[in-house]
Amino acid sequence: MAGTTQAELTQRVFEILRDDLLDAGADFTPRSNLVAAGLDSLAVTQLMLAIEESTGVWVDDSLLTPENLESAESLAGLVYRQLQGS
Amino acid sequence: MSAAGAAGTLPLTGADCFLRAFDHEIRRMNGASHVSQLVLRLGPGFDVSGFQGMVEAAARAHPLLRAPVARRLGLGAPVFRLAAAARCPMPRIEIHEAEAPADGEPPLPELFFARLNQPLSLRRGELLRFDLVRYAGGAAGADLAASWLHLLFDGAGSERFLRWLEECFQGQRPLAELPDPGEVAPVRSPKPSFGERGRAARAWQGWHDAMGARPPRSLAGPLRRTPQALRYTVSTFTADETARVVEAARRRAGFLTPMLFYLAAALRAHHAVFQARGVDPGSYVVPLPVNLRPKGGEGAVFRTHVSLIWFQAFPEQMDDFDGLVADLKAQRVAAIRAGQIENGVHAMDFARLAPRRLYAHMARKSLGGELCSFFFAYTDAFLPGLASFFGAGIRNGFHVPPVPPSPGSCLAISLREQRLNLTHVHQRGVLSERELAIFHERLRADLLG
Repeated sequence: MAGTTQAELTQRVFEILRDDLLDAGADFTPRSNLVAAGLDSLAVTQLMLAIEESTGVWVDDSLLTPENLESAESLAGLVYRQLQGS
Repeated sequence: MSAAGAAGTLPLTGADCFLRAFDHEIRRMNGASHVSQLVLRLGPGFDVSGFQGMVEAAARAHPLLRAPVARRLGLGAPVFRLAAAARCPMPRIEIHEAEAPADGEPPLPELFFARLNQPLSLRRGELLRFDLVRYAGGAAGADLAASWLHLLFDGAGSERFLRWLEECFQGQRPLAELPDPGEVAPVRSPKPSFGERGRAARAWQGWHDAMGARPPRSLAGPLRRTPQALRYTVSTFTADETARVVEAARRRAGFLTPMLFYLAAALRAHHAVFQARGVDPGSYVVPLPVNLRPKGGEGAVFRTHVSLIWFQAFPEQMDDFDGLVADLKAQRVAAIRAGQIENGVHAMDFARLAPRRLYAHMARKSLGGELCSFFFAYTDAFLPGLASFFGAGIRNGFHVPPVPPSPGSCLAISLREQRLNLTHVHQRGVLSERELAIFHERLRADLLG
Protein backbone atom coordinates (compact mmCIF):
# COMPACT_ATOMS: atom_id res chain seq x y z
CA MET A 1 0.00 0.00 0.00
CA ALA A 2 3.02 2.27 -0.28
CA GLY A 3 2.02 5.41 -2.14
CA THR A 4 -1.63 5.04 -1.23
CA THR A 5 -3.35 8.36 -0.89
CA GLN A 6 -5.64 9.18 2.01
CA ALA A 7 -8.58 9.39 -0.40
CA GLU A 8 -7.87 5.87 -1.68
CA LEU A 9 -7.58 4.58 1.85
CA THR A 10 -10.85 6.25 2.81
CA GLN A 11 -12.57 4.56 -0.11
CA ARG A 12 -11.09 1.17 0.87
CA VAL A 13 -12.17 1.50 4.52
CA PHE A 14 -15.60 2.67 3.41
CA GLU A 15 -16.04 -0.31 1.06
CA ILE A 16 -15.01 -2.87 3.67
CA LEU A 17 -17.46 -1.37 6.15
CA ARG A 18 -20.29 -1.09 3.65
CA ASP A 19 -19.84 -4.40 1.88
CA ASP A 20 -18.52 -6.77 4.54
CA LEU A 21 -19.09 -5.53 8.05
CA LEU A 22 -22.16 -3.31 8.34
CA ASP A 23 -25.74 -3.81 7.28
CA ALA A 24 -25.90 -0.14 6.38
CA GLY A 25 -28.50 1.49 4.18
CA ALA A 26 -28.07 3.31 0.90
CA ASP A 27 -27.49 6.57 2.76
CA PHE A 28 -24.25 5.28 4.31
CA THR A 29 -21.34 7.46 3.19
CA PRO A 30 -17.67 7.91 4.17
CA ARG A 31 -18.86 10.67 6.51
CA SER A 32 -21.66 8.70 8.20
CA ASN A 33 -21.36 8.19 11.94
CA LEU A 34 -20.01 4.66 12.39
CA VAL A 35 -21.41 3.93 15.84
CA ALA A 36 -24.85 5.02 14.68
CA ALA A 37 -24.42 2.73 11.67
CA GLY A 38 -23.92 -0.23 14.02
CA LEU A 39 -20.15 -0.40 14.33
CA ASP A 40 -19.12 -2.52 17.29
CA SER A 41 -15.91 -3.92 18.72
CA LEU A 42 -16.01 -7.05 16.56
CA ALA A 43 -16.50 -5.08 13.34
CA VAL A 44 -13.66 -2.71 14.24
CA THR A 45 -11.29 -5.59 14.98
CA GLN A 46 -12.23 -7.30 11.73
CA LEU A 47 -11.64 -4.02 9.90
CA MET A 48 -8.26 -3.56 11.57
CA LEU A 49 -7.29 -7.10 10.56
CA ALA A 50 -8.34 -6.42 6.96
CA ILE A 51 -6.27 -3.23 6.97
CA GLU A 52 -3.30 -5.05 8.47
CA GLU A 53 -3.60 -7.67 5.75
CA SER A 54 -3.46 -5.10 2.99
CA THR A 55 -1.04 -2.57 4.54
CA GLY A 56 0.99 -4.52 7.10
CA VAL A 57 0.11 -1.93 9.74
CA TRP A 58 -1.71 -2.86 12.92
CA VAL A 59 -3.55 0.01 14.55
CA ASP A 60 -3.27 -0.22 18.32
CA ASP A 61 -6.68 -0.20 19.91
CA SER A 62 -5.66 2.57 22.30
CA LEU A 63 -5.94 4.82 19.23
CA LEU A 64 -9.51 3.77 18.53
CA THR A 65 -11.07 6.75 20.26
CA PRO A 66 -14.59 8.07 19.65
CA GLU A 67 -13.07 10.84 17.53
CA ASN A 68 -11.16 8.43 15.30
CA LEU A 69 -14.22 6.19 14.98
CA GLU A 70 -16.52 9.05 14.03
CA SER A 71 -16.65 8.08 10.35
CA ALA A 72 -14.92 5.97 7.69
CA GLU A 73 -13.11 9.14 6.72
CA SER A 74 -11.71 9.82 10.20
CA LEU A 75 -10.81 6.16 10.68
CA ALA A 76 -8.96 6.14 7.37
CA GLY A 77 -7.17 9.30 8.48
CA LEU A 78 -5.91 7.45 11.54
CA VAL A 79 -4.70 4.52 9.45
CA TYR A 80 -3.07 6.90 6.97
CA ARG A 81 -1.13 8.63 9.75
CA GLN A 82 -0.01 5.23 11.03
CA LEU A 83 1.12 4.30 7.51
CA GLN A 84 3.07 7.51 7.18
CA GLY A 85 4.77 6.89 10.50
CA SER A 86 5.64 3.26 9.89
CA MET B 1 -40.97 -16.38 7.48
CA SER B 2 -39.12 -16.95 4.30
CA ALA B 3 -36.58 -19.27 5.95
CA ALA B 4 -39.28 -21.76 6.86
CA GLY B 5 -39.17 -24.98 4.91
CA ALA B 6 -41.85 -26.18 2.58
CA ALA B 7 -42.91 -28.79 5.12
CA GLY B 8 -43.65 -26.10 7.70
CA THR B 9 -40.44 -26.43 9.62
CA LEU B 10 -37.57 -24.15 10.52
CA PRO B 11 -34.18 -25.60 11.47
CA LEU B 12 -32.52 -24.69 14.72
CA THR B 13 -29.25 -22.80 14.34
CA GLY B 14 -26.04 -24.55 15.32
CA ALA B 15 -25.91 -22.38 18.44
CA ASP B 16 -29.47 -23.47 19.29
CA CYS B 17 -28.40 -27.09 19.07
CA PHE B 18 -25.30 -26.41 21.17
CA LEU B 19 -27.55 -24.95 23.87
CA ARG B 20 -30.06 -27.77 23.41
CA ALA B 21 -27.34 -30.18 24.52
CA PHE B 22 -27.15 -28.33 27.84
CA ASP B 23 -30.91 -28.11 28.05
CA HIS B 24 -30.96 -31.90 27.76
CA GLU B 25 -28.22 -32.27 30.37
CA ILE B 26 -30.09 -30.03 32.83
CA ARG B 27 -33.34 -31.93 32.27
CA ARG B 28 -31.59 -35.27 32.77
CA MET B 29 -29.54 -34.36 35.81
CA ASN B 30 -31.17 -31.37 37.46
CA GLY B 31 -34.90 -31.57 36.75
CA ALA B 32 -35.18 -28.17 35.11
CA SER B 33 -34.43 -26.74 31.66
CA HIS B 34 -32.24 -24.08 30.05
CA VAL B 35 -34.53 -21.14 30.74
CA SER B 36 -33.52 -17.53 30.36
CA GLN B 37 -35.43 -14.55 31.72
CA LEU B 38 -35.89 -10.89 30.99
CA VAL B 39 -37.34 -8.71 33.74
CA LEU B 40 -39.03 -5.33 33.43
CA ARG B 41 -39.72 -3.32 36.56
CA LEU B 42 -42.65 -1.11 35.63
CA GLY B 43 -44.52 1.88 36.97
CA PRO B 44 -48.32 2.05 37.18
CA GLY B 45 -50.58 1.89 34.14
CA PHE B 46 -49.68 -1.46 32.58
CA ASP B 47 -52.41 -2.47 30.12
CA VAL B 48 -52.94 -6.12 31.00
CA SER B 49 -55.64 -6.91 28.47
CA GLY B 50 -53.75 -5.07 25.74
CA PHE B 51 -50.65 -7.14 26.51
CA GLN B 52 -52.58 -10.42 26.60
CA GLY B 53 -54.20 -9.64 23.27
CA MET B 54 -50.92 -8.63 21.66
CA VAL B 55 -49.08 -11.77 22.80
CA GLU B 56 -51.88 -13.95 21.50
CA ALA B 57 -51.95 -12.10 18.18
CA ALA B 58 -48.16 -12.40 17.92
CA ALA B 59 -48.33 -16.15 18.52
CA ARG B 60 -50.96 -16.49 15.76
CA ALA B 61 -48.87 -14.40 13.34
CA HIS B 62 -45.59 -16.15 14.24
CA PRO B 63 -46.08 -19.85 14.98
CA LEU B 64 -42.44 -20.14 16.05
CA LEU B 65 -43.54 -18.77 19.44
CA ARG B 66 -45.30 -22.04 20.24
CA ALA B 67 -43.76 -24.52 17.82
CA PRO B 68 -42.68 -27.93 19.13
CA VAL B 69 -39.01 -28.75 18.64
CA ALA B 70 -38.03 -32.21 17.46
CA ARG B 71 -35.79 -34.06 15.03
CA ARG B 72 -37.46 -35.09 11.79
CA LEU B 73 -38.50 -38.74 12.23
CA GLY B 74 -36.23 -38.78 15.27
CA LEU B 75 -33.21 -38.31 13.01
CA GLY B 76 -31.49 -35.43 11.25
CA ALA B 77 -31.22 -31.86 12.41
CA PRO B 78 -33.81 -30.67 14.94
CA VAL B 79 -36.45 -28.24 13.70
CA PHE B 80 -39.22 -25.99 14.93
CA ARG B 81 -42.39 -27.74 13.70
CA LEU B 82 -44.29 -24.64 12.62
CA ALA B 83 -47.12 -26.64 11.09
CA ALA B 84 -47.87 -28.20 14.49
CA ALA B 85 -47.87 -24.89 16.38
CA ALA B 86 -51.61 -24.28 15.98
CA ARG B 87 -52.28 -27.37 18.12
CA CYS B 88 -50.08 -26.06 20.92
CA PRO B 89 -51.24 -23.73 23.70
CA MET B 90 -50.62 -20.01 23.56
CA PRO B 91 -47.70 -18.62 25.59
CA ARG B 92 -48.94 -18.57 29.17
CA ILE B 93 -49.47 -15.22 30.92
CA GLU B 94 -50.10 -15.43 34.65
CA ILE B 95 -51.16 -12.43 36.68
CA HIS B 96 -50.20 -12.35 40.34
CA GLU B 97 -51.36 -9.78 42.87
CA ALA B 98 -49.16 -8.45 45.66
CA GLU B 99 -49.33 -5.71 48.26
CA ALA B 100 -47.58 -2.44 47.61
CA PRO B 101 -44.26 -2.16 49.43
CA ALA B 102 -44.32 0.06 52.50
CA ASP B 103 -41.56 2.16 50.98
CA GLY B 104 -39.09 1.97 48.15
CA GLU B 105 -38.80 -0.66 45.47
CA PRO B 106 -40.27 -4.08 46.21
CA PRO B 107 -37.86 -7.02 46.36
CA LEU B 108 -37.85 -9.21 43.27
CA PRO B 109 -40.68 -11.77 43.47
CA GLU B 110 -39.61 -15.22 44.62
CA LEU B 111 -41.79 -16.53 41.83
CA PHE B 112 -39.31 -15.21 39.26
CA PHE B 113 -36.53 -17.32 40.77
CA ALA B 114 -38.80 -20.36 40.79
CA ARG B 115 -39.52 -19.97 37.08
CA LEU B 116 -35.83 -20.52 36.29
CA ASN B 117 -36.07 -23.93 37.92
CA GLN B 118 -39.26 -25.17 36.30
CA PRO B 119 -38.88 -26.93 32.96
CA LEU B 120 -40.62 -25.72 29.84
CA SER B 121 -41.59 -28.32 27.27
CA LEU B 122 -39.90 -28.43 23.87
CA ARG B 123 -42.22 -31.17 22.66
CA ARG B 124 -45.38 -29.26 23.56
CA GLY B 125 -44.13 -26.00 22.08
CA GLU B 126 -43.98 -24.43 25.54
CA LEU B 127 -41.14 -22.05 24.74
CA LEU B 128 -42.20 -18.79 26.37
CA ARG B 129 -44.21 -17.69 29.39
CA PHE B 130 -44.89 -14.42 31.17
CA ASP B 131 -45.49 -13.66 34.83
CA LEU B 132 -46.84 -10.29 35.85
CA VAL B 133 -46.78 -9.30 39.52
CA ARG B 134 -48.99 -6.29 40.17
CA TYR B 135 -48.57 -4.22 43.31
CA ALA B 136 -51.78 -2.81 44.77
CA GLY B 137 -53.67 -3.90 41.68
CA GLY B 138 -51.12 -2.18 39.47
CA ALA B 139 -51.48 1.23 41.12
CA ALA B 140 -48.03 0.86 42.67
CA GLY B 141 -46.44 -0.61 39.57
CA ALA B 142 -45.67 -4.13 38.40
CA ASP B 143 -42.86 -6.54 37.65
CA LEU B 144 -42.95 -8.51 34.41
CA ALA B 145 -40.80 -11.59 33.78
CA ALA B 146 -40.55 -13.19 30.36
CA SER B 147 -39.10 -16.69 30.74
CA TRP B 148 -38.13 -18.57 27.62
CA LEU B 149 -36.17 -21.55 26.44
CA HIS B 150 -32.83 -20.30 25.24
CA LEU B 151 -33.34 -21.39 21.66
CA LEU B 152 -36.49 -19.40 20.98
CA PHE B 153 -34.46 -16.20 21.41
CA ASP B 154 -31.02 -15.21 22.54
CA GLY B 155 -30.62 -12.16 24.79
CA ALA B 156 -30.55 -9.66 21.92
CA GLY B 157 -33.52 -11.37 20.25
CA SER B 158 -35.60 -11.23 23.42
CA GLU B 159 -35.09 -7.47 23.68
CA ARG B 160 -36.03 -7.07 20.03
CA PHE B 161 -39.17 -9.13 20.57
CA LEU B 162 -40.40 -7.01 23.49
CA ARG B 163 -39.61 -3.82 21.57
CA TRP B 164 -41.56 -5.19 18.61
CA LEU B 165 -44.57 -6.02 20.82
CA GLU B 166 -44.57 -2.46 22.16
CA GLU B 167 -44.24 -0.96 18.67
CA CYS B 168 -47.18 -3.06 17.48
CA PHE B 169 -49.15 -1.97 20.56
CA GLN B 170 -48.41 1.65 19.65
CA GLY B 171 -49.50 1.01 16.08
CA GLN B 172 -46.05 1.89 14.79
CA ARG B 173 -45.63 -1.32 12.82
CA PRO B 174 -47.83 -4.15 11.59
CA LEU B 175 -48.04 -7.34 13.58
CA ALA B 176 -46.91 -9.52 10.72
CA GLU B 177 -43.70 -7.60 10.19
CA LEU B 178 -40.71 -9.13 11.90
CA PRO B 179 -37.14 -9.46 10.64
CA ASP B 180 -36.57 -12.69 8.76
CA PRO B 181 -35.77 -15.46 11.23
CA GLY B 182 -33.48 -17.02 8.63
CA GLU B 183 -29.81 -17.72 8.94
CA VAL B 184 -27.47 -14.98 10.02
CA ALA B 185 -25.43 -13.60 7.13
CA PRO B 186 -22.61 -16.05 6.40
CA VAL B 187 -19.38 -15.26 8.17
CA ARG B 188 -17.53 -15.88 4.96
CA SER B 189 -18.71 -15.99 1.40
CA PRO B 190 -18.77 -18.28 -0.53
CA LYS B 191 -19.83 -20.88 1.97
CA PRO B 192 -16.91 -23.17 2.82
CA SER B 193 -16.90 -26.81 1.81
CA PHE B 194 -17.78 -29.60 4.24
CA GLY B 195 -14.07 -30.41 4.61
CA GLU B 196 -13.21 -26.78 5.38
CA ARG B 197 -16.00 -26.61 7.93
CA GLY B 198 -14.73 -29.78 9.54
CA ARG B 199 -11.22 -28.36 9.81
CA ALA B 200 -12.60 -25.12 11.24
CA ALA B 201 -14.62 -27.02 13.83
CA ARG B 202 -11.57 -29.08 14.82
CA ALA B 203 -9.51 -25.89 15.16
CA TRP B 204 -12.11 -24.48 17.54
CA GLN B 205 -12.24 -27.72 19.51
CA GLY B 206 -8.44 -27.84 19.62
CA TRP B 207 -8.30 -24.28 20.93
CA HIS B 208 -10.75 -25.22 23.66
CA ASP B 209 -8.96 -28.50 24.44
CA ALA B 210 -5.63 -26.71 24.83
CA MET B 211 -7.08 -24.85 27.80
CA GLY B 212 -7.40 -28.21 29.50
CA ALA B 213 -3.61 -28.26 30.04
CA ARG B 214 -4.44 -26.29 33.16
CA PRO B 215 -8.12 -27.05 33.64
CA PRO B 216 -10.47 -24.73 35.49
CA ARG B 217 -12.49 -25.51 38.55
CA SER B 218 -15.82 -23.81 39.00
CA LEU B 219 -17.22 -22.73 42.36
CA ALA B 220 -19.78 -25.54 42.04
CA GLY B 221 -17.28 -28.19 41.02
CA PRO B 222 -17.66 -30.50 38.01
CA LEU B 223 -20.94 -31.84 36.67
CA ARG B 224 -23.49 -32.14 39.48
CA ARG B 225 -26.56 -34.33 39.70
CA THR B 226 -28.54 -32.04 41.97
CA PRO B 227 -31.89 -30.28 41.64
CA GLN B 228 -31.49 -26.97 39.89
CA ALA B 229 -32.19 -24.19 42.39
CA LEU B 230 -31.07 -20.96 40.76
CA ARG B 231 -31.72 -17.56 42.22
CA TYR B 232 -30.26 -14.19 41.48
CA THR B 233 -29.43 -10.83 42.90
CA VAL B 234 -29.48 -7.56 40.99
CA SER B 235 -27.20 -4.75 42.10
CA THR B 236 -28.08 -1.40 40.55
CA PHE B 237 -25.55 1.38 40.68
CA THR B 238 -26.55 5.03 40.99
CA ALA B 239 -26.19 7.32 37.98
CA ASP B 240 -23.04 8.88 39.49
CA GLU B 241 -21.49 5.50 40.24
CA THR B 242 -22.39 4.26 36.78
CA ALA B 243 -20.75 7.26 35.14
CA ARG B 244 -17.55 6.49 37.06
CA VAL B 245 -17.65 2.82 36.08
CA VAL B 246 -18.38 3.49 32.42
CA GLU B 247 -15.57 6.02 32.23
CA ALA B 248 -13.15 3.63 33.92
CA ALA B 249 -14.17 0.80 31.56
CA ARG B 250 -13.51 2.97 28.51
CA ARG B 251 -10.25 4.31 29.86
CA ARG B 252 -8.83 0.98 31.00
CA ALA B 253 -10.20 -1.41 28.37
CA GLY B 254 -10.93 0.81 25.37
CA PHE B 255 -13.86 2.67 23.88
CA LEU B 256 -15.26 -0.39 22.11
CA THR B 257 -14.25 -3.19 24.45
CA PRO B 258 -15.56 -2.22 27.90
CA MET B 259 -16.71 -5.81 28.32
CA LEU B 260 -13.11 -6.82 29.01
CA PHE B 261 -12.98 -4.42 31.96
CA TYR B 262 -16.13 -6.04 33.35
CA LEU B 263 -14.82 -9.53 32.62
CA ALA B 264 -11.60 -8.77 34.50
CA ALA B 265 -13.67 -7.60 37.47
CA ALA B 266 -15.79 -10.76 37.29
CA LEU B 267 -12.65 -12.92 37.23
CA ARG B 268 -11.25 -11.18 40.30
CA ALA B 269 -14.57 -11.46 42.16
CA HIS B 270 -14.60 -15.23 41.61
CA HIS B 271 -10.93 -15.40 42.52
CA ALA B 272 -11.61 -13.62 45.81
CA VAL B 273 -14.03 -16.42 46.73
CA PHE B 274 -11.51 -19.13 45.81
CA GLN B 275 -8.90 -17.37 47.92
CA ALA B 276 -11.28 -17.19 50.87
CA ARG B 277 -11.89 -20.93 50.49
CA GLY B 278 -8.19 -21.63 50.20
CA VAL B 279 -8.88 -23.65 47.05
CA ASP B 280 -6.78 -23.65 43.89
CA PRO B 281 -9.01 -22.74 40.90
CA GLY B 282 -6.50 -24.22 38.44
CA SER B 283 -7.23 -21.60 35.83
CA TYR B 284 -10.18 -19.49 34.83
CA VAL B 285 -11.86 -20.40 31.54
CA VAL B 286 -14.77 -18.21 30.47
CA PRO B 287 -16.74 -18.06 27.20
CA LEU B 288 -17.85 -14.66 25.93
CA PRO B 289 -20.86 -14.70 23.58
CA VAL B 290 -20.38 -12.79 20.32
CA ASN B 291 -23.51 -11.49 18.59
CA LEU B 292 -23.35 -12.52 14.92
CA ARG B 293 -26.17 -10.37 13.62
CA PRO B 294 -25.19 -8.00 10.83
CA LYS B 295 -24.31 -4.68 12.42
CA GLY B 296 -26.65 -1.79 11.92
CA GLY B 297 -29.70 -3.68 10.66
CA GLU B 298 -32.67 -4.93 12.63
CA GLY B 299 -31.36 -8.48 12.59
CA ALA B 300 -33.08 -11.69 13.56
CA VAL B 301 -35.47 -11.88 16.50
CA PHE B 302 -35.88 -15.62 16.85
CA ARG B 303 -33.30 -18.32 17.57
CA THR B 304 -29.74 -18.01 18.85
CA HIS B 305 -27.22 -16.11 16.73
CA VAL B 306 -23.97 -16.18 18.62
CA SER B 307 -20.50 -17.64 18.52
CA LEU B 308 -18.16 -17.87 21.50
CA ILE B 309 -14.71 -16.53 22.28
CA TRP B 310 -12.97 -18.45 25.03
CA PHE B 311 -10.70 -16.69 27.49
CA GLN B 312 -8.26 -18.27 29.90
CA ALA B 313 -6.59 -16.52 32.81
CA PHE B 314 -4.50 -17.77 35.71
CA PRO B 315 -4.51 -17.10 39.45
CA GLU B 316 -1.09 -15.44 39.28
CA GLN B 317 -2.54 -12.76 36.99
CA MET B 318 -5.25 -11.69 39.40
CA ASP B 319 -3.25 -9.17 41.42
CA ASP B 320 -2.67 -6.88 38.42
CA PHE B 321 -6.01 -5.59 37.12
CA ASP B 322 -4.64 -3.61 34.18
CA GLY B 323 -2.27 -6.43 33.24
CA LEU B 324 -5.23 -8.80 33.25
CA VAL B 325 -7.26 -6.49 31.01
CA ALA B 326 -4.30 -6.19 28.61
CA ASP B 327 -4.00 -9.97 28.43
CA LEU B 328 -7.73 -10.38 27.77
CA LYS B 329 -7.47 -7.82 24.98
CA ALA B 330 -4.58 -9.70 23.42
CA GLN B 331 -6.49 -13.00 23.67
CA ARG B 332 -9.52 -11.44 22.00
CA VAL B 333 -7.57 -10.08 19.05
CA ALA B 334 -5.67 -13.36 18.68
CA ALA B 335 -8.92 -15.33 18.63
CA ILE B 336 -10.48 -13.08 15.99
CA ARG B 337 -7.25 -13.13 13.97
CA ALA B 338 -7.25 -16.93 14.06
CA GLY B 339 -10.82 -17.02 12.78
CA GLN B 340 -12.17 -18.60 15.97
CA ILE B 341 -15.49 -16.78 15.78
CA GLU B 342 -16.17 -18.34 12.40
CA ASN B 343 -14.69 -21.65 13.58
CA GLY B 344 -17.11 -21.60 16.51
CA VAL B 345 -20.05 -21.24 14.14
CA HIS B 346 -18.92 -24.35 12.25
CA ALA B 347 -18.23 -26.30 15.44
CA MET B 348 -21.70 -25.55 16.74
CA ASP B 349 -23.19 -26.40 13.34
CA PHE B 350 -22.04 -29.97 13.87
CA ALA B 351 -24.22 -30.05 16.99
CA ARG B 352 -27.17 -30.12 14.60
CA LEU B 353 -26.32 -33.68 13.69
CA ALA B 354 -24.55 -35.00 16.78
CA PRO B 355 -26.44 -36.61 19.66
CA ARG B 356 -27.05 -34.13 22.46
CA ARG B 357 -25.25 -36.16 25.10
CA LEU B 358 -22.19 -36.51 22.88
CA TYR B 359 -21.96 -32.77 22.44
CA ALA B 360 -22.36 -32.04 26.15
CA HIS B 361 -19.75 -34.70 26.88
CA MET B 362 -17.31 -33.19 24.37
CA ALA B 363 -17.79 -29.72 25.84
CA ARG B 364 -16.92 -30.94 29.34
CA LYS B 365 -14.33 -33.60 28.49
CA SER B 366 -11.30 -31.43 27.93
CA LEU B 367 -11.85 -29.29 31.02
CA GLY B 368 -11.95 -32.10 33.56
CA GLY B 369 -15.73 -32.28 33.67
CA GLU B 370 -16.24 -28.52 33.86
CA LEU B 371 -17.95 -26.45 31.18
CA CYS B 372 -16.08 -23.33 32.27
CA SER B 373 -15.29 -21.37 35.44
CA PHE B 374 -18.45 -19.27 35.23
CA PHE B 375 -20.71 -17.67 32.64
CA PHE B 376 -20.38 -14.02 31.78
CA ALA B 377 -22.33 -11.66 29.54
CA TYR B 378 -22.15 -7.94 28.87
CA THR B 379 -25.11 -6.72 26.84
CA ASP B 380 -24.55 -2.95 26.94
CA ALA B 381 -27.68 -0.76 26.90
CA PHE B 382 -30.93 -2.55 27.77
CA LEU B 383 -33.86 -1.62 25.51
CA PRO B 384 -32.32 1.78 24.73
CA GLY B 385 -34.83 4.47 23.90
CA LEU B 386 -37.85 2.45 25.06
CA ALA B 387 -39.36 4.49 27.90
CA SER B 388 -42.60 2.61 28.47
CA PHE B 389 -44.14 -0.80 27.91
CA PHE B 390 -47.88 -1.21 27.38
CA GLY B 391 -48.63 2.06 29.09
CA ALA B 392 -46.30 1.68 32.09
CA GLY B 393 -43.00 3.48 32.46
CA ILE B 394 -39.97 1.19 32.57
CA ARG B 395 -38.26 1.80 35.91
CA ASN B 396 -35.55 -0.76 35.29
CA GLY B 397 -34.86 -3.87 33.24
CA PHE B 398 -32.24 -6.57 32.92
CA HIS B 399 -31.43 -10.04 31.63
CA VAL B 400 -31.16 -13.18 33.73
CA PRO B 401 -29.10 -15.66 31.71
CA PRO B 402 -29.37 -19.36 32.45
CA VAL B 403 -26.50 -21.26 34.04
CA PRO B 404 -26.38 -25.00 34.69
CA PRO B 405 -25.80 -26.09 38.32
CA SER B 406 -22.18 -26.58 37.29
CA PRO B 407 -20.48 -24.04 36.99
CA GLY B 408 -23.35 -22.60 39.04
CA SER B 409 -22.40 -18.93 38.75
CA CYS B 410 -23.12 -16.34 36.05
CA LEU B 411 -22.63 -12.60 35.99
CA ALA B 412 -24.56 -10.50 33.46
CA ILE B 413 -23.98 -6.77 33.14
CA SER B 414 -26.11 -4.22 31.33
CA LEU B 415 -27.04 -0.56 31.41
CA ARG B 416 -30.51 0.88 31.73
CA GLU B 417 -30.97 4.66 31.61
CA GLN B 418 -27.46 5.46 32.83
CA ARG B 419 -27.60 2.91 35.62
CA LEU B 420 -25.50 -0.22 35.70
CA ASN B 421 -27.22 -3.50 36.58
CA LEU B 422 -25.19 -6.48 37.78
CA THR B 423 -27.25 -9.66 37.69
CA HIS B 424 -25.58 -12.51 39.55
CA VAL B 425 -27.27 -15.87 38.94
CA HIS B 426 -26.15 -18.69 41.16
CA GLN B 427 -27.10 -22.20 42.15
CA ARG B 428 -28.25 -22.46 45.76
CA GLY B 429 -25.52 -23.79 48.01
CA VAL B 430 -22.65 -22.97 45.66
CA LEU B 431 -21.77 -19.76 47.51
CA SER B 432 -22.29 -19.20 51.23
CA GLU B 433 -23.67 -15.86 52.44
CA ARG B 434 -20.16 -14.85 53.45
CA GLU B 435 -18.78 -15.82 50.04
CA LEU B 436 -21.52 -13.86 48.29
CA ALA B 437 -20.56 -10.84 50.35
CA ILE B 438 -16.90 -11.31 49.41
CA PHE B 439 -17.87 -11.68 45.74
CA HIS B 440 -19.91 -8.49 45.64
CA GLU B 441 -17.45 -6.44 47.71
CA ARG B 442 -14.60 -7.34 45.37
CA LEU B 443 -16.71 -6.69 42.27
CA ARG B 444 -17.95 -3.33 43.47
CA ALA B 445 -14.51 -2.22 44.59
CA ASP B 446 -12.97 -3.12 41.23
CA LEU B 447 -15.70 -1.49 39.18
CA LEU B 448 -15.60 1.73 41.16
CA GLY B 449 -11.81 1.72 41.20
